Amino acid sequence: MTDIMSEAFGREIAARETFEKEGVWLPLLAVHTLNAGEGVIKGKTFTDCVIEGPALVAVLAGTTFDGCNMGAASDPKSMLYAPQGPRLVGAIGLQDCRFVRCRFAQIGYTGSADFLEGMATSLAGAGRAG
Amino acid sequence: MAYVPINRPVRVATNLTAMVFEDVDINLFELYAAVVGGSQPGLIEGRTFRRCRLQGPAIMLVSAGVTFDDTNFGDSGGDIRNLLLRPMGARALGTIPMRSCAFENCEFFNVGFTGPQHVLDMMAGVPTGPGAAQ
Repeated sequence: MTDIMSEAFGREIAARETFEKEGVWLPLLAVHTLNAGEGVIKGKTFTDCVIEGPALVAVLAGTTFDGCNMGAASDPKSMLYAPQGPRLVGAIGLQDCRFVRCRFAQIGYTGSADFLEGMATSLAGAGRAG
Repeated sequence: MAYVPINRPVRVATNLTAMVFEDVDINLFELYAAVVGGSQPGLIEGRTFRRCRLQGPAIMLVSAGVTFDDTNFGDSGGDIRNLLLRPMGARALGTIPMRSCAFENCEFFNVGFTGPQHVLDMMAGVPTGPGAAQ
């Protein structure tokens, strides 16, 4: 059985640039990325993956979502969090990442006021469509 | 009592379904998966943590009955509001919900906190710095 907290597993997963048709436990990827010396998850492509939390995501520059299901809630704003200070602690930064046809489960989102407003509109629209 | 910094070597918790944790290090997302049984919605309830280091990345939802005594909430950059997030909806998805849990002389690393406004107000009033917060 793979020891997902081992250094060898951590090095391997942190070095991967593509993930396809698999479940990705985002906080695990984040902690191994941090252990590899990177503050954010950067430059990875996820295709047809289930991105699992619990985790709070900070969407940074260059990250795109194509055909993704960002999560489900009766009140879509239940996935959104407004930071109370200028820094963010406990969130997982995603920079220059590409998500294609992924499904997000137990994931919350945070960012600037503009981002949160746009995300709230987008999630509400997705709810009506679905 | 007063906060005493935890200087012992790393000691990873081996039984994450225990009700009482003492002098161990815990990844909060691993704890959640062990208690809830995966990444589906659930909560961690009725646990006591003494002299533990609790690591993220994670956002803890502080709900009813959670107490912090002599606790170091982590590096806030001098402003504890950097550790706080306000939920914008009625629920709080993506968090690690805690209910009726006690934290005694614990340290948090890379953990943010959310909860009802009165909890955020209470935590925003906690002093920060090299010493303990209570």
